Amino acid sequence: MESHWTEVIVALIKCVFSLAFVMQIVPVLIWAERKFSAYIQDRPGPNRAHIMGIRAGGLVHTLVDVVKLVVKEDIIPDHVEKKFWFAAPVIAMSCALTTFTVVPWGDRFVVPASITAWWGGEGPLTVPLQVATINSGMLFILAIGSLSVYGVMLAGWSSNNKFSLLGGLRASAQMVSYELAMGLSVATMFMLYGTTELDKVAAQQAGPIWNWGLFGVLDADGFDPLLFVGWIVGGLAFIMFWTSVFAETNRMPFDLPEGEAELVAGYHVEYSSLRFALFFMAEYAHMIVGSAVTATLFFGGYNIPFLPGDSIRAHADTIVTVLGFGAVPVFIAFAVIAWNRRKRPFYQALAPDDIRHREPRFFAAFWSVLAIAHLGLGVAGLTGAVGSTALGPELLAFILQTSSLVIKVLIGTFFMIWVRWTIPRFRYDQLMNLGWRAMLPLALGNVFLAGIWVIFREAVQA
Amino acid sequence: MPTVKIDGIEVEVPAGTNMIEAARKVGIDIPHYCYHPHLSIAGNCRMCLVDVEAGGRGPDIACNMMARDGLAIRTDTPQVATMRRATMEFLLKNHPLDCPICDQSGECRLQDYYMEYGQYESRLSDPKVTKHKRVDIGDHLVLDAERCIACSRCVRFGDEITGTGELRLFNRTDHTEIGIFPGARIQHDYQGNLADICPVGAITNKDFRFTKRVWYLKETDAVCTECATGCNVRVCHQQGQVFRLLPRRNDAVNKSWMCDHGRQAFEAITGLDRLLRARVQGQPADLDDAVAAAATLLREAGGGVAVVLGHSASNEANWALLKLTRDNLPNATVYAVAGNDPGAWDRSDDFLMDADKNANSAGIAALMAHDPAIRDRSDLVQALADGDVDVMLVLGDDVLGRLGADGAGVRVIHVGSFRCTTSDAATVVLPAAHPYEQDATWTNRDRRVQRGRRAIHPAGDSEPAWALMERLGAALGKAPGATSAAAAFKSLASSVESFSGMTYQSLGNGGAVLASPPSPPTDDEDALETIHA
Amino acid sequence: MNLPVEQKRTFLERIYLVEIVKGLAITLRHALHNLFKQDFETFEYPDVRKEMPERYKGAHRLTTRPDGRVKCVACMCCAQVCPAKCITIEAGELDDDPIEKYPVEFQIDMLRCIYCGFCVEACPKDAIRMDTGIYEINAFTRQDMIHDKAYMTDLMAGKKPLAESFYRAHQDAAPPGYDLEEDRVLPVDEPRGL
Ligand code: SF4
Ligand code: SF4
Ligand code: SF4
Ligand code: SF4
Ligand code: FES
Repeated sequence: MESHWTEVIVALIKCVFSLAFVMQIVPVLIWAERKFSAYIQDRPGPNRAHIMGIRAGGLVHTLVDVVKLVVKEDIIPDHVEKKFWFAAPVIAMSCALTTFTVVPWGDRFVVPASITAWWGGEGPLTVPLQVATINSGMLFILAIGSLSVYGVMLAGWSSNNKFSLLGGLRASAQMVSYELAMGLSVATMFMLYGTTELDKVAAQQAGPIWNWGLFGVLDADGFDPLLFVGWIVGGLAFIMFWTSVFAETNRMPFDLPEGEAELVAGYHVEYSSLRFALFFMAEYAHMIVGSAVTATLFFGGYNIPFLPGDSIRAHADTIVTVLGFGAVPVFIAFAVIAWNRRKRPFYQALAPDDIRHREPRFFAAFWSVLAIAHLGLGVAGLTGAVGSTALGPELLAFILQTSSLVIKVLIGTFFMIWVRWTIPRFRYDQLMNLGWRAMLPLALGNVFLAGIWVIFREAVQA
Repeated sequence: MPTVKIDGIEVEVPAGTNMIEAARKVGIDIPHYCYHPHLSIAGNCRMCLVDVEAGGRGPDIACNMMARDGLAIRTDTPQVATMRRATMEFLLKNHPLDCPICDQSGECRLQDYYMEYGQYESRLSDPKVTKHKRVDIGDHLVLDAERCIACSRCVRFGDEITGTGELRLFNRTDHTEIGIFPGARIQHDYQGNLADICPVGAITNKDFRFTKRVWYLKETDAVCTECATGCNVRVCHQQGQVFRLLPRRNDAVNKSWMCDHGRQAFEAITGLDRLLRARVQGQPADLDDAVAAAATLLREAGGGVAVVLGHSASNEANWALLKLTRDNLPNATVYAVAGNDPGAWDRSDDFLMDADKNANSAGIAALMAHDPAIRDRSDLVQALADGDVDVMLVLGDDVLGRLGADGAGVRVIHVGSFRCTTSDAATVVLPAAHPYEQDATWTNRDRRVQRGRRAIHPAGDSEPAWALMERLGAALGKAPGATSAAAAFKSLASSVESFSGMTYQSLGNGGAVLASPPSPPTDDEDALETIHA
Repeated sequence: MNLPVEQKRTFLERIYLVEIVKGLAITLRHALHNLFKQDFETFEYPDVRKEMPERYKGAHRLTTRPDGRVKCVACMCCAQVCPAKCITIEAGELDDDPIEKYPVEFQIDMLRCIYCGFCVEACPKDAIRMDTGIYEINAFTRQDMIHDKAYMTDLMAGKKPLAESFYRAHQDAAPPGYDLEEDRVLPVDEPRGL
């Protein structure tokens, strides 16, 4: 009876955490997209909005954007098919978020007995760091991923607008085409891992870097050059999976469903205000989830290379000391840079009483405070204050592993943004050619290759 | 008929045709200012100079060169081009650069011919001769003497058409100036024509002054319905608004002229007296409801039903009304009430302005000849006096006003465009479109059936009267059954002998005269008295 | 029909990946350069303003005669030539002026205007100009985006139009009949308009 409640509460906490995980990254991505694209195009990017003089490199714009989207008039055109039109953005958003439930963001979290005792639990409670530990994890991702096309399709059709309809049509054709390659590359990985459960998949990639799915080795005891042939299988699967992720997220160069030039805004042309925001966020949520799944399948998931979860727990103090002292000079350097920004021509040109003059000072102080905090952390590590508690190593492992996943996700999404501002959009026939005539045969071949490789690997490892 | 040769093309023309008209026949345009087909020939602008190849000595002016056998002229030689350019330079020597504020701009012959034949560099070094500007010469006219090219068209119009002769060319050489005698003022009823015939912007219309640039205006051919003459007009309009009327040449009716009253008649389209909404018992109503109310009135009439044809309504509407009555109201009596509405404009003469202010009196006469059961004015007076009329259906005319009756005890259905005694007394009012808002035909005093085309959309809820008759017929049980004005006219032509064989196509722009003479004129003394009073 | 011959691509080009990486390198180079150097060509617009070239086509103004009345005679040439059909003029008659015609109202719908400058070219009276150098043409309502006669007459009160300095420097470039003295700018308190 009691343990049921515990489970429910733990599950709820995990839900909120994963939701927060995705939703926290979205604004950062939007900001990164704006700033990075600006830098690519030789312009400064967002830099106007400020809160009491603090512009935070344009981050405030994202905040303003949210306010704008919330308070904007929600226009419901007369000619739309109301039921589906309302449902579409919700479907798009929830599909993107649902996929994340099977992605593990750490190996486990052991709540020490001293804490479980508060609500009368018996002994320590081991919580798997994954919202839903289901045994068909990968298939679940594929299933939900294909559902997300309904959001786009319904939006396109129910808007009753030729541009949206064309956008919806393009989206569905594109998704069908790329789902195949995606499914096949997932199948490849599934053969390599021998399981579809993503927590097991992640666990298999712990340890040295060549254990990553990308190299197709897994669970190697030592480094054997021969085994490196596996990257052909893993690498091919990765490229195909990654391309399909682009297609599924409707990002450049696969953003034909939105194609501003010819379709205005494609399937979401009739949406405004928060409904539009849902589509907008769904795109970024898709990117995050796509990157997270890719990281889990190919890049070791939450694992830090050469530092499995158990090692983190065993050497908690050392790690805290190194990280704490290591971060101090970095933050001090940041503080100095921020302080020096005073001399930039921009600040020189401002009126002396302009409120934005306080910005360099603010950031210098901010980084200094961080540096001091990390100094404290290092001292705490030195004194062994972390490793001696029951909760300390667990928390450290949790934070490091989650950060490891976050960093991988950020690298992935950053790459997506980078590609978007580099490559022009495909033509529709090129898109279809690529999907059916290049990726599908390659993916099929790769499945066979994977079969051979699995047998070969066993032979070598034996 | 003599045969002449123009630019090598032979053409046979009636004797007495000048070379401008002969050239027009073969599609060659000879530029001209002073020549006007309905005025005498003055030959003073020299713009129409052409080379004479054979049969005379040239160069000579085409406007005064009458067709004769063996005559051959050329309009395409370099010499002609030089002469035209020289004439343009001469005419424009003292001309002010007024185009931005000149109402003629856009339809000015000086602009047109300069672009076509002038295009010279100005050689004028002396100051221009200045003359009187913005002279008020009449109620409808403004004169700018600087713009005048002394073509004398206006002088001849005053001498030959109206016979009033107010305008003259004074002084000599480049000080020649058009003007009126001191203290005089143009007061005749055909002033607007002076603005029309002036080939430049010297005489312009005060009413149209600065209201619209002419190049924005679209023109629709129509017929003036202000009196029985039925002058042919062009309705100049833009975006559903009429800005001016211009006479349209029809040598059988109005030549190139029209009167000033007719010229401003379009103002009534947007006037305060215009009926724009249907009314039932004095209250605004939907057109459908009003038609239903009218049908109920007619069907459930206690006593006699009187149907009165409209002397100012179109042939189509009158025919639809007659047909509707015969089909649905077997007990009704049809009347035609001649005479003018009280308050109608009262000027008339023996030129264009007819004493009969009804546009379609001859059409009604033709219908009366076709259907002898149609009773006249005195019969309706009698019936009203006897109390035989319970419901009266009136098309267009102010019948109560014409009869001087108050309509007590009679329930009136009025189908018309304007407010009048009858519409005020009416139980049901159906708003009818103005003549310029519909396709229809009217029969003028010479029994010429003439076609007007729709220039603008009917204002408010109004509809063409024939269409209202269709609605009413449908509500009563049997509609006359026309879906367009052309179909309504076809039905009329196939039933009424005098109209037989006519279609909208065959009427064309000139109209056609009714076949057989009508029955002898009405012996209705009152009506004649009213008209010739 | 002659279709353009498709360019022959090498194998490396055909598998895209290498070319994509090359492209990515270019964009990254720009991004990193700008991140560290921050030497953009961009103007920090509201804080730093660009000097407009003298013949820049900005907001329209109606020029005035020395007595403060607009030069425009409502000839409609500008309204006629305007490709966006955004000029509305209502003409009226002046009783006490040898120039009989004037615009009772003169409106330009700046939301529709495409700043082609045809109206300026067409005007026979040099009555409309786009030499104000004003490019911040914005408003909170659509109605306010319709510039009317009073606004366009007052627009440059106390300010020098760009054209004046330009035509002073390049007298032969001035339109025929252009009179620098007549183009003087009215002090703010002098009466203007009609
Ligand atoms: S008369 Fe003709 S040429 Fe003369 S100012 Fe008027 S429009 Fe211009
Ligand atoms: S006023 Fe007109 S019509 Fe009369 S002479 Fe002069 S140009 Fe001819
Ligand atoms: S600039 Fe061009 S579009 Fe704008 S008002 Fe002038 S003519 Fe019209
Ligand atoms: S072109 Fe010039 S004079 Fe004519 S209406 Fe336009 S601004 Fe006025
Ligand atoms: S038209 Fe022949 S001289 Fe004027």
